[in-house]
Amino acid sequence: MSLCRQSFLLLRRSVVQNVCFRVTETRNIKRWVSPTLKELKRRRDKIGPEPEKPRSSFLEWNYEAEIYAFGKRLGEEFDKKLLKQALIQREYANMQEFKAKEQVIVPLINFQEFPVSKETLSNTFKAVVAVLKRSKDLNRAQIFVKDFVLSQMNGKDVYELWDPQNPYEYLTTLLNEKGITEIEPRLCNQSAVNTILANFQVGLYSNRKLLGIGWGENIKIAKETAALDAIQRIYKDYVPK
Amino acid sequence: MSVLKRVQQWATFARIWHVYDAAWQNPFQSAELLKKYLMGMYKPIYHPSNDCGDHVIVINSAEIALPGDEWKKRVYFHHTGYPGGATWTLAWDLHSKDPTMVPAVYNSMDGNLKRRYTMERLHIFPDSNVPKDLMANVSNQIRQIRPMPKRLDHYPEQQVKEFPKVIDYPKDYVVR
Repeated sequence: MSLCRQSFLLLRRSVVQNVCFRVTETRNIKRWVSPTLKELKRRRDKIGPEPEKPRSSFLEWNYEAEIYAFGKRLGEEFDKKLLKQALIQREYANMQEFKAKEQVIVPLINFQEFPVSKETLSNTFKAVVAVLKRSKDLNRAQIFVKDFVLSQMNGKDVYELWDPQNPYEYLTTLLNEKGITEIEPRLCNQSAVNTILANFQVGLYSNRKLLGIGWGENIKIAKETAALDAIQRIYKDYVPK
Repeated sequence: MSVLKRVQQWATFARIWHVYDAAWQNPFQSAELLKKYLMGMYKPIYHPSNDCGDHVIVINSAEIALPGDEWKKRVYFHHTGYPGGATWTLAWDLHSKDPTMVPAVYNSMDGNLKRRYTMERLHIFPDSNVPKDLMANVSNQIRQIRPMPKRLDHYPEQQVKEFPKVIDYPKDYVVR
């Protein structure tokens, strides 16, 4: 920076003195490079990370082309008008209406949910499936769900998707429906009880039959995991009608 | 990770506590046995760099039995690091000084960085008086290599007298 200022002063002086000034390149170590980059980095860090921007805010955004490509990417023929309708959120539609009525409210205009919440995404997916049903037929929509949802859920642990809060109580209600009322939790094994790595094994029995078995760092957790295991065992051979 | 997967992991890496009665046992053969438990070599998840070893409580270490004339002939070497600091201690001498000092287990393992941490999981007691909080952890007993026979003087006197005999000594026979 200081070098720039000096050269600028020199230039001005030469203009004042009306001397022909020739800029010659000097082959030195560029001492300004490192401080300049450091300063730029410092300013970048001070501002903080750039906010995430929706793709639609970019200059070359073409909504019609995107809608067309969306259908092609999924390999389905959509009714364009219906698809557009499905992709509009209720809040957004209300806001448009509101905007048409009251044009004064400026800060509301740019409001849009971003990044998109999981709930919105799931609702939109359901809407897309509904559009497919209307544009084609029910069978096509069923195949679409099978291909895109069920194939991804294949082989996943049920409890990664579903986290029951009181599994033992849930199990008792489940078994009551089946006519099993007496459940006996038993401590099957334990090890290293007085250490931080304590481990307990609890089995749930009914009429001398094992319903489920579970482990845990204390008896309560072991009992609950045993209940989770029992729920899984009940539906092990479940076939949908 | 779901709850079931988490507790499965917890149970897989659970540390089991074993108890082993060293009375009348060969320490060198016992070391090979205990080493498997201390290093977790009996587990399907075993790997040299996997921290899956168990704890072993050894009781009655004062009553170990060395084979042959090992008590007299086996020598343990120690050097203090100073000139003339070398000492050679006979096994019987070392055992009388500290009955819990059993180098057999330490010597049975390879000399690597894990050996000292593995040795920390070995708890040796000269008799059967183990603190209650340690004994509560135990969930398995390791079978002795050699079953300990019952000594004649431990049987009740009545039973010894009534035991059927093949012959009787003559009344004037002098038992030397």
